[in-house]
Order: sequence, then structure tokens, then C-alpha cells
Amino acid sequence: MKITSDHFLEHADAALADPDKAQRRDLLGLFMPLARDAAAARYGDFEALRVHLKQVRRHTMEHLEHYLTRFEEEALRNGNQVHFAATPEQLNSTVLSICQDHGARRVAKGKSMVTEETALNDHLQQAGLDVIETDLGEYIIQQAGETPSHIVGPALHKSLAEIRQLFLDRHDLGERPLEQVADIVAEARGILREQFLQAEVGIIGANALVAENGSTMLVTNEGNGDLCANLPPVLIVCTTLERILPRVEDAMALQRLLVRSATGQPQTSYTSFYSGPQRDDDVDGPLETHIILLDNKRTDILASDYSEILDCIRCGACLNHCPIYVGVGGHAYGWVYPGPMGSVLTPLLTSLEQSNDLPNACTSCGRCAEICPANIPLPDLLRDLRQEESQRQLNSPRWRRGLRVHAWFLRHPALYQRLSGWLMPVLAWLGKRRGSLRTLPFAAGWTGTRDFPAPEGGTFMRQYRKRGKVRRRRG
Amino acid sequence: MAESPRSEIMARLRAAAGASASATTPEQIARELAALGFASAAVLPAADTCIAFMANVLANKGSVELAADRAEAVRVVGRYLYNRFRTHKLVAGNDPRIAAMPWRDAGVLPRFGAAENGDGAALSYARLGVAETGAVVTWTGRANPGRNNLLPEDHLVLINREDVVATLEDAWLRIRQELPAGSWPRGINFIAGPSSTADVEAQLVMGAHGPRRWHVILVGATPAEALAEAKVLTAATGP
Ligand code: SF4
Repeated sequence: MKITSDHFLEHADAALADPDKAQRRDLLGLFMPLARDAAAARYGDFEALRVHLKQVRRHTMEHLEHYLTRFEEEALRNGNQVHFAATPEQLNSTVLSICQDHGARRVAKGKSMVTEETALNDHLQQAGLDVIETDLGEYIIQQAGETPSHIVGPALHKSLAEIRQLFLDRHDLGERPLEQVADIVAEARGILREQFLQAEVGIIGANALVAENGSTMLVTNEGNGDLCANLPPVLIVCTTLERILPRVEDAMALQRLLVRSATGQPQTSYTSFYSGPQRDDDVDGPLETHIILLDNKRTDILASDYSEILDCIRCGACLNHCPIYVGVGGHAYGWVYPGPMGSVLTPLLTSLEQSNDLPNACTSCGRCAEICPANIPLPDLLRDLRQEESQRQLNSPRWRRGLRVHAWFLRHPALYQRLSGWLMPVLAWLGKRRGSLRTLPFAAGWTGTRDFPAPEGGTFMRQYRKRGKVRRRRG
Repeated sequence: MAESPRSEIMARLRAAAGASASATTPEQIARELAALGFASAAVLPAADTCIAFMANVLANKGSVELAADRAEAVRVVGRYLYNRFRTHKLVAGNDPRIAAMPWRDAGVLPRFGAAENGDGAALSYARLGVAETGAVVTWTGRANPGRNNLLPEDHLVLINREDVVATLEDAWLRIRQELPAGSWPRGINFIAGPSSTADVEAQLVMGAHGPRRWHVILVGATPAEALAEAKVLTAATGP
């Protein structure tokens, strides 16, 4: 996927100017966290589950070579062909050559963020293949020629009316009402069912790879991934190294966290472990199965200070809880992964030069770290990226000058306190009538769209000292 | 010649892990892992495993019926098919347990084999049920081809009372016992609801690609009050 993250601010402005879409996002930001919280509360000790999986992940990452080798051995024993791809190009060309070996023309795909990352569809289509996304959300945006706005619900930015018009334009099915959500789903079902039956190759992702038995875990509600894995004669699993877990029970622990954080369910409709091609006892299933393990800079990230982002299980909860994501939506981020996890991953998987606005798209409110089922300290990682940005002089010179002035004052606390002690009463006096200020020198960017609340009285430090004295006297 | 992607990746992993990790023996790694143990399961909605299972099946938008034995199960299936489709057509895998049931008694004539596009109802005999999540477990093979879970309009599932376990870990324990190493099937499927989607307007719709309805029949001596209690629990705690 082509990256446009360097236009984050313009994209964000445009997104905020569309009240209809903004309202849809507000609802998402309201209801998804409620569903997640209710599910976590029903679970019992959700925190212990998070801590447990974190320990298993640390252990697995420490011995990744061991577990990867084990997975490969077991997967081969199960009759799979296992491929490694260091780069997105290698993954794409491996998939294409498998399709070409079979003279395939039609490919049915389950939802896979990894193949979004490598822009696989473009690659296959350029070679003349018909590639159809079968997850309903992915299908809708594929028909619309758009990109996902959310890693779990890729088409949640689109209204029913938009999707209706899209289907009327794209499907040659004559007059029909198509007014209810159920009509849309039924129409897509009919069209996609044919695709499943005709496809010569199925492509799916994996939510986890199980080292002990070489199987891959697939978690969906629609069952589209399972149809891709069961109907076409050739199956290709596109995944990345860090999905590995040692045991099936560990994959189950991940699944417990994943679905509750993503949708609030205890388990999705389908949780499947696929191990390879048809066995003697099978009457259906693919005759040939491939697993492609992509690196694409994961090994670099593993060796860096950002390795914890590899624990991400792609639940999307940090998106739903992020005031910036809910404010501006997924497309503003300009690449595959939006929200807090995307603001960490995009600079690492592309470059900080191309995406230096993303680590700044953070209010440091900390909600994402609070709910992230993988316990990733997202705000800390974003702060570290901002620091790197400053050191490498990737942010604007004006910004850096401002930060230098700020830093100088912070290193001279006496002066800082004297200055702020003098400034606050002035601001309080200026804003006395309205309780707020419309403009401030050096802060037009902030006051351009909102008022600055007038300070009520002394500074924090002054109050702190006063109360400290009181308490000391009492004590 | 350029390095293969595999050796390139493995070399990078070795470098990232550092000397200490590479020096660890497989036995040490296994011990470390064993020391981590397993996760704790979700709290069950009821102390009785079967009630908890039924409550969660209902919460997952499935429907539940009870059958005291296989003869009654046949009648339950027959009635379901007639009410839904006004026929007695059914497809089922070559599961000896299904084949041995007295289908003629209810006028049901199952077609044994793999489901086809256009089939109304398929029947599976689940290997396990999981109370923690309200899931049934099947695996692929002659007894239950993978497509039988996915292609029909309605998916009917029989599950024996004694095969309902409390947690996902218990389920894997049973699976490991029943499938000795080397006889791992192509696919192991946990099914916990009809095929559904919320991709349009975040509205939940059943029958996204696969079954619109998922009907679970619990076989064994279960009192009718147990099902009633499960329904109350789902109504109280349901999403
Ligand atoms: S970073 Fe955490 S909350 Fe965000 S998608 Fe990944 S696992 Fe979920």
C-alpha cells in the first residue's frame, strides 16, 4: 500500500470537516470501549490473563529462533510447503509463482493485514489474476477502491447509503430495494459464495502459529477465512514471524484476549486450527498448502528498543480508545495500520522520515496502554519515537526551537516558577470577563479553533507549596 | 549467490537474541515454558457445566434443545427440519454415531458425505463442548468434512452431555488424549455461533457466508429446568 502518512495533518483536517463521518467515529469510540469493558469484567481476572500472555510472549521472543525452527519442522511434517520472505516483494512473488504454477486465475482471500502491508492484491492483479476479498468489510472497500480505516472493521467508515449505492453500481443485478443492512449482507453472500466455489487458490492470514504442532490459528466471525481454507484446491497462509506461540493453550489465551478486546465476545463464531493438506481420512480440503513467513523488518524491531510492539495481537482496541483515532479516523494515518499501534508500527515498518507526524498524533492520555491486551506501553514507545525524531531533526525547526526554549526553562526551575507565577495572574486578569481567552501570543495554532481557559489563580507549584505547609503544620 | 531468505532471517534472529539465549538448550527452554503454566479460564456463568455451556451457546446467538437419548435426538432433528424447511432433508458426515441413529423413525433420511452448495441443513456430532465460551469442537475428516460446518443454511450439532468440558484448556487436554501425536487432523474447529458480520453500520447480521442458524442439541439426561435456567442467565448477562 502506498504510504501517504506525511500528509497526516491535511488528512486530519479534511476528516474533521466531514460531520457525518465524525459522528460515526464518535459512536464507535463510545460503544466499542463499552463492549470491551463489559467483556473484560465478565471474564473475571482479565489482568492475570494479560500478565500471563505477556510472560509467554517474552519467553517466545527470547527463543524465537528455537520456536520458529520447531514450527517449520512440524509444518513440514504435516505436509505443508514452508517459505520464508525477508521483504514484501519476496512474499508477493512467492504467492504469484504458486498461483502461476497451478495456472490459477481466481484467488479468494480472507482478511489479512500482512498482505495489505505488502500490497499483494496489486501485485497479483498486475499479473492478470482475479483477486477477491471475502471478508465483507474488505470486500466493500475493495469494490470502492479504498483502503481499510480500521484493522478489525475495515469499512466502518462507510454508511449504509454509500454501500447501497456502491452495490447498485458494481453488481449487475437489476432493480432491487437493498435498503436494509441484511439485504447488503445477503447480496454479498450470494456473490462471494460463487467466488469461494470457483477460486483455485485461497489465501488467509493467521492469528497465531503454534510451534508444537505446526498449525495456524484463524479467528473469524464470518467464516470467510474458513471457506478459503476448505474449498479451493490450494491454500496459502501469509503470516509473519512474530505470530508464533509455543502451545495450543497459548494460542487459546491469545484468542481469549483478542476477541474480548476486539468485539467483546467470549469466542468468535469460528476459531480454527489448520495443519496442512488433505489427509487420507479427508473428503475435502486443499490438496496443497503453503505457509509464507514474512519478516519485513520484524527482526530489526526485535533487536531495537521497540520490540514490545511485536506483541500486538491486532485487536484494534487501542484505535477505539484513542481520542486522536476517533477524532480523525483511520485514513488520516496514511498507511495500513492506524491509531496508536499504527503510529508506532508505521515509522518502524516504513520510515520515520515518511511518517514523522504519527508519533505526535498522541495526547499522552494513556488509555491505549491501560486497555492493550498485550500490555504494550504504547505512549512510551510513541514518546521514544518523538525523541528520535528530534534527535534526527525530522520535525520542523520551529518545533525544535520551541522545545529547546521549554527545556531550558525546565532546567531552571526557579526562573520558570518566577516567570509562570507572574504570567498566570496576568492571564487570569485578561480572561476574567469571559473565563477564557480567544487568542494568545505564540499559540495561534491552538487558539485558532478553540478558546484557552483562563487560569483561576496561582500556579500548581504555588498551591502545592501552600498545601504542603498546611499539611506539615497539621502533621 | 545471494543468501536465502531463510538463512538471512535466522541469522538476524540469532543476532537479535544475543549470546545468552542462543546458549539455552531445548530442555531448558521447555522447563522455562512449563514453569509459566497455563492461563486461568473465564468465570463460568453457572456452577453446573452443562448449564453454563447452554447459557453461553444462547449468548452466542445459537439455539439449544435437549434430547434425553439418541432416539429423541432423531425426533428433535426431524421436527426442526420440518419447521424450518418443510422437508426432512439433511446432510451429515460419515460419523458412525450418526449412522447408527434410528433416522427412519422420524422420517429423516440423511445423505452421508460432504455438504454441497445449496444444502439446507447439515448435522455434525461434536467431539466436545466448551462451557467457558459456549463452543462445540469438531475436526475434519470423513466423520465431519470441513465444508459441512460452513456451506449449509443451518448447522445442527449434536453434543453428548458427558463431552461438555469446563474450559478451553480442558478441551485441549481431551483433544490431546483423543488424537495421539502424528494423527492430528487437517483442521480442528471451535464453533461458537452462526456465521455473522457487523461490518456494515456495526449492525450484527447472521449468515454472512455460512450458516444463518446454529442449533445445538444436548444429548443425555438434562432436566428441562436446566435449559430454563440457562435462558434466564443469558437474558440477565447477555450482551
Ligand atoms: S497495540 Fe494492543 S490494543 Fe492496539 S491493536 Fe495491538 S494488541 Fe490491540
